Amino acid sequence: MNESGRTAGEGPLDEPVSRRGFLRYAVLGFAGLATAVGVLTPIIAYLWPPKQTGTAAGGKVNVASTADLPPGEGQVYSVNNKPVIVINTPDGYKALSATCTHLGCIVYWDGQKQVIACPCHAAFFNTNGDVISGPPPSPLPDYRVQVEGDQIYVEGGQG
Amino acid sequence: MEAQRRANWRTRVGDWFDERFDVRIPLEAFLKKPVPKHAIRWYFCLGGITFALFAIQGITGILLSLYYRPTPEQAYESILFIMNNVRFGWLIRSIHSWSASLMIAFCVAHMLRVFITGAYKRPRELNWVAGVMLLLLTLAFGFTGYLLPWDQKALWGSTVGSEILGVVPLIGDALLGLLRGGPDITGLTLTRFYGIHMLVLPALIFLFLGFHFVIIRRQGISGPL
Repeated sequence: MNESGRTAGEGPLDEPVSRRGFLRYAVLGFAGLATAVGVLTPIIAYLWPPKQTGTAAGGKVNVASTADLPPGEGQVYSVNNKPVIVINTPDGYKALSATCTHLGCIVYWDGQKQVIACPCHAAFFNTNGDVISGPPPSPLPDYRVQVEGDQIYVEGGQG
Repeated sequence: MEAQRRANWRTRVGDWFDERFDVRIPLEAFLKKPVPKHAIRWYFCLGGITFALFAIQGITGILLSLYYRPTPEQAYESILFIMNNVRFGWLIRSIHSWSASLMIAFCVAHMLRVFITGAYKRPRELNWVAGVMLLLLTLAFGFTGYLLPWDQKALWGSTVGSEILGVVPLIGDALLGLLRGGPDITGLTLTRFYGIHMLVLPALIFLFLGFHFVIIRRQGISGPL
């Protein structure tokens, strides 16, 4: 502490600022700040993840034609940027999220065993998305699937 | 005592480094050289402007590399994506494109200034040589970067430009094949130019820039006319 009650080592703050000095700091500071904001704003915006091209979020997406999926077959499609597995079961077409509820691996259709399998930790799901065996804590969420003519449509998912 | 206590943080950081590396005196000799009166003219700024444009190219180039994909199927697609979907992508790519042309223009203007003021003469001959190397590297940057958008202008521009190598006697075809990665401009040429543009040329240009700057500080700016 010195006589004026301030701690030492504050440097320029101890000296009075002249009117000219204040204006100088203010103008230079504002110019510097404006430049920094003007340069950094486009760069940060540029780095921000851009919107992917494709359909609107949650819209109905034509994934395949019925000829592509004969009975007992299943396939993973991209629906609004989310993987969805569509299976032709004896009860009709089923669409489920293809993201395993355990750790997020993409599941596949095992045509021989007629189950959905996850390649990462040997998890199996039935065609309703329920867990048969393995570590997943919950069933695969389902999507609405529609057949119009010979085209298969899946609805839902986020963009 | 009071002065010592008032030593601000910058001095203290400087002291810390000086105590360990003994760099204060050589660094001050290097960085605090006064600019001679005759050199305080706009046409003595041309080299500095070229370097500023190079810095802009470095920053915008790194940004473009985050979205650009150097394959024949996706290169043009990724350019469209940068221009239409990425926020300020049009700005970053346009700055990169315009600064590229400006950098060559200012490089040549700087060269003319050095030539007219006779600054290339003894003892600065080697810095002139380094400067010419920098100009050639800048042109190589421009040439390899021109192909990367992978549109019609890029393809035919690079076809015509690289064809020049083919007229070298005897080894022309071999050189052309080496540059293009085959007899024609294909995806192999694209990845080749991309690698040269992003890795080889930056490494080389930093080498010559370092030499150019150290030498100019060591020898000082040439005298008045």
